[in-house]
Amino acid sequence: MGSQIELPFNSKPSTIMHIDLNSCFASIEQQANPLLRNKPIVVAAYNSPSGCILAPSVEAKLLGIKVGMRVKDGKLLCPNLIVRGPDPWKYRTVHLALKKILLEYTNKLAPKSIDEFVLNFEGFPSFSRGLTLVAQEIKTRIKNEIGDWLTVSIGIGPNRFLAKMGSNLKKPDGLEEINYKNFLDVYQKLTLVKLHGIDKSYTARLNLSQIYTVMDFYNATPSQLKSAFQSIQWFYWYLRLRGWEIDDVEFGRKSFGNMYSLPKALVAVEELSPILHKLVQKMSYRLRLNGYCCKGVHLAILYRDHSFWHKGVSLKNPLFDSQDIYRLAVKIMSASPYQKSVANISVSCFNLSKNNTLQLDLFDNLIKKESLVSTIDSINEKWGDFVITPGKMLGTKDLIPDRIAFGNIKELENFIIQNN
Amino acid sequence: MIQQICAPVSVIFSFNHQTRVIKPEKIIWDSKIYFISKVGFHHSFRQGSTRFHIFSVVSNNLFFRLSLNTDTLFWNLEEISDGLPD
Repeated sequence: MGSQIELPFNSKPSTIMHIDLNSCFASIEQQANPLLRNKPIVVAAYNSPSGCILAPSVEAKLLGIKVGMRVKDGKLLCPNLIVRGPDPWKYRTVHLALKKILLEYTNKLAPKSIDEFVLNFEGFPSFSRGLTLVAQEIKTRIKNEIGDWLTVSIGIGPNRFLAKMGSNLKKPDGLEEINYKNFLDVYQKLTLVKLHGIDKSYTARLNLSQIYTVMDFYNATPSQLKSAFQSIQWFYWYLRLRGWEIDDVEFGRKSFGNMYSLPKALVAVEELSPILHKLVQKMSYRLRLNGYCCKGVHLAILYRDHSFWHKGVSLKNPLFDSQDIYRLAVKIMSASPYQKSVANISVSCFNLSKNNTLQLDLFDNLIKKESLVSTIDSINEKWGDFVITPGKMLGTKDLIPDRIAFGNIKELENFIIQNN
Repeated sequence: MIQQICAPVSVIFSFNHQTRVIKPEKIIWDSKIYFISKVGFHHSFRQGSTRFHIFSVVSNNLFFRLSLNTDTLFWNLEEISDGLPD
């Protein structure tokens, strides 16, 4: 990777397709309830003034309503805004139905989130038909087989980055290709922050290296890029912008975590511990379901005055039992020096290892404990989540509802398949 | 307006073996008959070992969310809406 590197734009035919379901949650709600179509609606975490907007419909977006706004701010922009709570199983059903259609074209398919898929057509018969034709067919099939109100934006390119950029060019219902013939035209019309992965802080760093436009970015010398990024990222961006693949990597599981935004102000450990217990129950069940145990627990607390406190503890012996993880998590929480109103609490476990490598302990019967935990899990699976719960979790029935994580897709499909 | 409710409901349901289309045809709720004009979406999920099928349907200007418990084969009305803001 010397500074003399001179790489042309990748001239291979486009083989990557990025599919993005437009205004996913809101469109699916409009699909389910035709009376909501052509109206500004949002799916919000909670239908309360301070509830966070997760997905505005296309009509709501036109009025300036964005993801992350509060419901009360959305209603200021649009007094007639219709607010819906999330219905995760509807969205999971659409995800699976879309995946089923896409698998008929290629099995090199990577779900990037609940509403995004990346497909590689290289070496598959459908490639010979032309990706634009295939994309049009996929759009038609989505309307006929999943829902007539659902639209997708499709991007086609020689690498994942350009396919993603193509899908962002026209929303909703777009179909754009970026390749060696038109990339310069596209780059000239874009600003740096429109590039997927370049935020305002990266833009500031690029500006410091005299890179102000996407064309400057593309034409930048390796030494300019090195000084802007100060890491191997300069080379990745050098390749991405030239249509070479650098993002075809899947990262392994490093941790499991659950987070909850508290609807009311709580301060004392005794008030927070039932919520913490339920978070730990959910997290540790996912940990065991995926066949892991952990050797570390981390707790993070965001207070209502926007201050933040967190602490992680590493262990010698692995944990898999919810009770053991909870005891450690509550010990960590008690170590917080603050007695302030909590806005958000998150717990995670790390240093994962497969739980078939459990070491026998001299003082603790791990095999007996594992058998008990697995029996409780089976009962909960048969009769519904949390049918057997510790007494400390009493009163948490309606707290921490089922949610879909932004972006994270690692467990989603296991979860759906297990439920089916 | 969207109203969450939990009420037992009578449902006439059809299955066409040739087109393999399933559809709630009409519901009887609160002594009134509603003919289903459109099925917006159908999905299912498990709660414990019980599978529930959810039909999101429309009758004229009213939306109904119907739930079928596949253990008891009983129908429940979970939500009605007129599609207007609260």
